[in-house]
Parts: sequence; C-alpha cells; structure tokens
Amino acid sequence: MRTAVFSMLLAGSLLLQAQTAPKPLQIPIQQYKLDNGLRIVFSEDHTAPTYAISITYNVGSHNEHAGRTGFAHLFEHMMFEGSENVGKGEHMILVENNGGNMNGTTTEDRTNYFESFASNQLDLGLFLESDRMRSLAVNQANLDNQRNAVQEERRLGVDNQPYGETSEVLQALVYDNFANKHSVIGSMEDLNAATIKDVQEFFRVYYAPNNAVLTLVGDFQPADALAKIKKYFGDIPAQPTPPAPDLAEPKQTAERLKTIEDPFARTPRLDIAFKTPPGNTSDLYSLDVLSTALGSGQASRLYQTLVKDKELAVNVFCYVEEHRGPSTFNIVVLARPGKDLKEVEKAVYAEVERVKSEPIADWELQKVHMLERRETAQALESTLYRAYLIGEMSVIFGDPNLINTRFGKIQSVGKDDIQRVAKTYLTEENRTVVTTLPKPKAEASLNPAH
Amino acid sequence: MNINLKFPALLAVSAVLLAQVPQDPGSKAIPISKVERKNKAPVSGEVLRTKLPKPVEMTLPNGLTVLVLEDHRLPLVTARLNILGAGALYDPADSPGLANVTAAMLREGTASRTSKQIAEQMEELGATITAQAPWASETTTFMASGLSDNATQWIPLATDVLLHPSFPEGELNKLKQRMKVQLQQQRGTAGFLLQERFNRAVYGDHPAAITSATELALDKITPAMLAEWHKSRYVPENAVLGIAGDIKPADAMKMFQALPAWKAGPEKVALPTPTKAASGRRIFLVDRPGSVQADVEIGNIAINRMDADYVPMVVMDRIVGGGAAARLFMNLREVHGYTYGAYSQLIARRYAGPWIAQGSMRTDATEGAMTEFMNEINRIRDTPVPEKEIEENKRSIVAGFALSLERPDQLLDYAISLKVFNLPADYWDAYPAKITAVTAEQVQRVARKYIVPDDLQIVAVGDAVKLKPVLDKYGAVQVFDTGGKPKATP
Repeated sequence: MRTAVFSMLLAGSLLLQAQTAPKPLQIPIQQYKLDNGLRIVFSEDHTAPTYAISITYNVGSHNEHAGRTGFAHLFEHMMFEGSENVGKGEHMILVENNGGNMNGTTTEDRTNYFESFASNQLDLGLFLESDRMRSLAVNQANLDNQRNAVQEERRLGVDNQPYGETSEVLQALVYDNFANKHSVIGSMEDLNAATIKDVQEFFRVYYAPNNAVLTLVGDFQPADALAKIKKYFGDIPAQPTPPAPDLAEPKQTAERLKTIEDPFARTPRLDIAFKTPPGNTSDLYSLDVLSTALGSGQASRLYQTLVKDKELAVNVFCYVEEHRGPSTFNIVVLARPGKDLKEVEKAVYAEVERVKSEPIADWELQKVHMLERRETAQALESTLYRAYLIGEMSVIFGDPNLINTRFGKIQSVGKDDIQRVAKTYLTEENRTVVTTLPKPKAEASLNPAH
Repeated sequence: MNINLKFPALLAVSAVLLAQVPQDPGSKAIPISKVERKNKAPVSGEVLRTKLPKPVEMTLPNGLTVLVLEDHRLPLVTARLNILGAGALYDPADSPGLANVTAAMLREGTASRTSKQIAEQMEELGATITAQAPWASETTTFMASGLSDNATQWIPLATDVLLHPSFPEGELNKLKQRMKVQLQQQRGTAGFLLQERFNRAVYGDHPAAITSATELALDKITPAMLAEWHKSRYVPENAVLGIAGDIKPADAMKMFQALPAWKAGPEKVALPTPTKAASGRRIFLVDRPGSVQADVEIGNIAINRMDADYVPMVVMDRIVGGGAAARLFMNLREVHGYTYGAYSQLIARRYAGPWIAQGSMRTDATEGAMTEFMNEINRIRDTPVPEKEIEENKRSIVAGFALSLERPDQLLDYAISLKVFNLPADYWDAYPAKITAVTAEQVQRVARKYIVPDDLQIVAVGDAVKLKPVLDKYGAVQVFDTGGKPKATP
C-alpha cells in the first residue's frame, strides 16, 4: 500500500525540521613536493570508488610572444599526439575504453590535463600523465593535423558564431600589454606559422615537473599514491624556472570605444568592461559580490531595470573575469532591436551610479552569500572538477586551500567595500565598450546566369 | 581563466568537445598523421562492479510518483518534475510554442506573488527554478534546486510556482517581445538552422518536426490558453518527481506538502503517434551567407527507447561516433584534420527518433568529410566489427556506466527513465550484462537495418555557392534560406 506509506510520513510530524547549523564546506588538502620540483596536492574522499587526476602547468597564452598567438593551446593538442610509450590518439582510446573522462584546457594563465577513472586504474592515470611530461613525441604530420583541428575549433567557436569575434575585440581593446591583449585561440596566421621547433622548445621550457602541480582527488591511499607518483614522475628532470610573463598594465585614462559589424548577429550587443586589480585580492572579491547583486539573476538590478521595467534589452548580466594579473568587471547587454543604444547605455550607467551612492540592500547581500555557498558546494560535486579547481588555484595563486577559504573571503565583503570598489573601478575613464551591430551578408544567387 | 566558480571554463579552450580506432586511413600518398597503439600502459583488467543505489518510491493518492534519493555529502537538494503530455510535441498545430510559453510563464506570477517577488525570494535563498518544454519532447520539465540549509523555504515557494501560476497579461506581453527577438536571433545560428531542416527532413508531418514558435502563434497566445494548458496538461498521474540530495524522504514530503492537493486530471497520456523513417535519399542545404564552415547532419529515423534493438544500437553508435576514441573522430579529425570533432548520436524516445552522424568542417574540407562520413557508414554496415574493437567499446560503455553512478542527478535520471519508458525495475542492474552480451553480428544487423544509404537524409548549413556542387554528387539538392523558405536554384 504505497498510499498508506505517504499518509504515515505526513502524520509523523507536522512540524518542519528544526534548522540545523549549515554543513561546513571543507575538503582535506595535503601537499607534497618531489625532489624534481613537482608539487603534489591530495584530497582524499572515499565515498565512491573513483578518483580524478589533474596536471596543471604554469603556462598559458600570457606566455606567448608576438607572431605565435594561440601556441599554448595548439601545444595542448600536441600532448594527445603521443609520447615514448603512448601512441598518437592512444591516450583517448585508453581513457575511453576504461570508462574514464578526460580533456585538456588552456586559458591565459595555465594549461591543464585531467582524467577520472575507477580507483583500480590509479596506475593508468599516473602513467599517461608522466609519459607525456617526460617524453613528448612530435612530428610534422601530427603538428599539421592538430593545427587543422585547432583552426576548425576557432571557426566553430569564433568565426562561424554570432558575436564570435566580440570577446576577442574586447580583450584587444581593454588591455595594452601584448601578454594580456591577445586571445587564447590565437590568429589563423600565427597558428600557420608554428613549427616543430617551437613545439620542442615550448615543451622543454614549460613542461617540466617544477612548473606543474599534480592533483589527486578521490579514493586512493596517500602513502601508496605518493610511492607511485615517485615511481612514475621522480626521474623526470627539472628545468630552469621559466621567466614569469610581465602582465603589468598602464593606468587607463580615457574611455575606449569600438563598434564592430557581425554577419550572424540579429540584434545589437554591448560589452562593457572595467579594468580591475588581479584575482584573489580583496578588491576583486568585493567586485565579485557587486557583480552578483548588479547583474546575476532575474531579480538583479540590471535585469529588472533594463529587461523588465524599461524593456530596452532582452538580456543583461555581469561577471568578473578573474586572472592572475589585471582582470575585468564585465557587463553584457543584448539590446532589443530598434532601441537607441545610447539610451541603453545610459540606463546601465544609472544603475552603476546607484550602487555607488547608496548601499546595496540586506537581501541582496544575503543573496550573494547564499548563491556563493551553493556554487561552492556545487563545485565540490564531482571529483574531476575538484581536481581541476585545486590545480588551477595552486598554479595561479599558489594556494590549493583557496578551494576551502574562498567562500570566507566573499562572506567578509561588506556593503561599504562594495560601494568603494564601485566608485574606484566602475568609472568612465576606466571603461571600454564594444558595440556589436548586426550586418547580415547579402545572399549570393545560386544561379550562375545571374 | 576560470577560478570564478560562476563561469567555469568560460574562456578555457579544450582539446575535445567530448572524446576510437581508424583502420584504413585512406589511400592518399602524402604523409599522414596516424593513430598508433603501443599497448604499454598499465591497465587493470578488472571492471568496477557496481550496485545501483535505489531511490525510495512513493505514489500519492492523486497519482504522482515521487522518488527520493538521499545523498548527504553536500548541502544541496535538487527536485525535478517530469510531466509527460505537457511537452511541445503536444502543442496544438496552430499554436507552436504554447508549451514553451506556459513553462516560461510559471515564474512570472502566482495567485499570491508577483514575478519580481518570486525572483527576489528565490535568489535571496540562493535557489533556482527552471521550467522547460523542449521541442519534439513529450515532457515539460520543472526543476527547483538550492541549498538544504533553507529547503524548507524554497521548496514551498517552488511548489507555489508550479501549482498556482496566474499568467499575468502584462508579463506575458513582455515575454512575447523577448521571445520574438529570440526567433530572429536563432536564425543567425548554424546549429538552429541545421536542427530545423533535419527535423523536418526526418519527421515529415509528425509534430516532432517542429523546432520553433512563430511570431504569429506567439501573438495569438492568451493568458486563458496558458491557464487551460496548465490545467489540462500539468497532471499528477503523468508526472514523476525526482528529489536528490541532502534530504530525508519523510522531510521531503513535508516540504512538498502542497503536492498531494495537486488535482488529479484526465487519464494517462497515450503513446504519441509513431514516426517512420523517411524513404528515398534527400539532400537539404541551408544557405547561410558568410559561413566559414559547413555544419552537416546525416541520418534517419531508427528506433524508440523501448525497442529490443536499443542495446545493440547503443554499442553500434559508440563504435561509429560515441566519443573521441570512436571511428568518426579518429578518421575525420585525427587522420584527416577536417574538423574539431565528428560524432554520432542516437535519439530514442517513446516514439522512434533518428540516428545521426554529425560534424562541422571548413567549407573546403566538406567534400573530403562527406566521403569519410559515407565510408564510415558503409564500413559499419558492410564489415563485421573486429573482436578487439567491439570488446573495447562494450567495456567502455560498462565502465563509463559504473563511473556515472557517482552522481546523484544521473542516478535520478536512470530511476525516472524506468517510469517514463515503462522498463522493468531491474533494467539498470542488468544493463552492463546486456551490453556485454552484444555481438558483432548484432551490431552489423542493426547498422544494416537502421542506416540505409539510399534513404539517408543529408542536411548541410553553410555557404551554398560552394557547398551545392559538393552535395550534388549525393543526389538532388533542395536549397533553403535562413528564413526557412525554399530558394530558387537553376
């Protein structure tokens, strides 16, 4: 009698469960270092018989030089093209055939490689990552093949998409320093220019154990895992510490504006960026809180004003793009077709001024805390994502424990901090605006007679 | 970079979108990039043995099925309500978008709360509500999720949104304006144009062919129509509520205490009209000026989810295009460099859906890519899959299934699918053994049965001037513009 089961449950207690103290969101972090400089972070979790591994290298598009944009990412693809004991493509075959997940990703600040497996495949993950760190094998045919794949990735994600070029144009306009202003995907010309020698040199300089962090999360025994890591990685030689890129930006003194035309867009879009201090600083945490109050969710100030009340836009949102170096606070507005874009911009800036002149409401601060707590919890759901984040935090900010302490830093932001950072950074002279206008290409006739 | 938890991987550029084994890399004389196996990696031969956690199941007097899966590792709760019969597939023929608009309007006001109040109260609690009625789906899915800390507050709020929407006219008019802009926006995207033409090609007159509302249909929608749809289609007998996370079944029922009052509606929704495979090969080309790639889909209607051929089709699909180790990826990307990724997929619902091979490639690589797509289609039909390859693919599915059980949302998905497709209670327990039992002969049989070269529907989106001569080789090409209208061709 399933119906009866329900009635009994309901009769059990009509009182709602008493509020208990919120569950702490802390995971264990243990750190080690091999003699060759390889940093190791363990986070044990035996709730499921699985584990995840990430290797995060301290290199990204910030390390690229003029004429080789996109190279850090192209190199990442070469890491799947074979090494001494793993054939081209065999990495993917081994991971998939054993039920695992894998990928590699490149950003401005770091490049990472990761896999997740059942815990009985610990040797496989360590072997795969160590073999390519020790002995990457490259040849011209494989480089040409992956250059094609990467150029297709650029076409797919940028050149053939509405608003595809917008973020690249914005990045180039906001920053002055070459290290910061070029995109991770890079230009077709520079991708074409990359050589085997570039690959070999990049591998030697940046893909050394002392320039990487190995993160292991999940179901493993630390002593056993550490012994295996020594076996697989211990004899890979260290290299001289690579030079850190200079990411310094001159102070912006005037608003920067640019308008571009897009063949695939059907409605105008405004991308507004304000330069900010680097990531993991108290000001950036304050700006992060501000971005949530101002432009995250349908109750946010920008959404309510621009989308619901004034109907000037179909969507609007804010985010902080956090880097090791100079970062940005961004506002994106998808305008309603036919609206005066000046009026749209004015409405955005009016809301920005309002956060400067009066403190945000209690409920807005509460919203930020609840959303941040929830996002922190969600980030811990999969072992793979935990390994991904811990590796990233270790490499970029030198602190694997940031996965535990970040929420506290957000919580400590006060209403006055928010007003202060709004006044300091969200100013006209610190602003960069890219306007993307729809401009469909004319259709060509298919009839050769015309 | 993506330390920012809000936008993970926003700027990260990945090696593959998802993630096997090419045999004959082609007959070209130029040096090629070859996939190679050295077989030196230390692999444990043991596949993880798994026991599927079972949710607690209850049926309320009004017919609603409730599944609760406890997982107290993190302070999170997710509730997902699948309402069969309320999906876009059942939109009245003259009102495409009705299910969609109803779902979107739920959170725009209830008998006791305005749109703004709902948004503020939910966000203050850190909780979210989404309701979706995807095209071609029989189901409207209502999701509410948030922290367990304050679930006693956001769950009743979400229930109010589900059961007592007021469909205010002012909000409806605003929503229509936003949706009309989306109708324009989507015509700039290759993905939408591909889906629109492909669904029309394979489904023909079946309602699953519809992939978009129209301006005219949106204009005609009234609050009364939404209220009627909600009343007649949001019916507890046809719904399954799955709750997963940091919550006990008894507490869950207390928090969802408004649900038993959800009024029972008409009888169970019947199976939808069956679909049938399109006969005769047809080629459709959507001209999207300015395109630098061709987006291609090739396929036809195959099977429904209850079909006995489902399991061998899963293995066949995995071998051909199920990931970065499958034939299409290895051939079109790793050997030929035509694409960032080429894949296949099997869409099986309560009515038969298509098996599709797909990829996006630079315009001038389309000819080579089409040749390799057809080569792979012929190979899976004409040649039995070698023993090693089929064994590896079956192992991949079984091991991947085991790994997926770590995620409560996935477990809930498996449990809900038993209800929706009327599968035996031990279906998922027996699934690994069923996959393992599939033979190369079965794979070849289903490939020959469901992938018929002479009946394939081929759809491409891109620069028609350059693509038409490439596609002409496969048959008569029908050209369309981005508005969905046929274009005159010589």
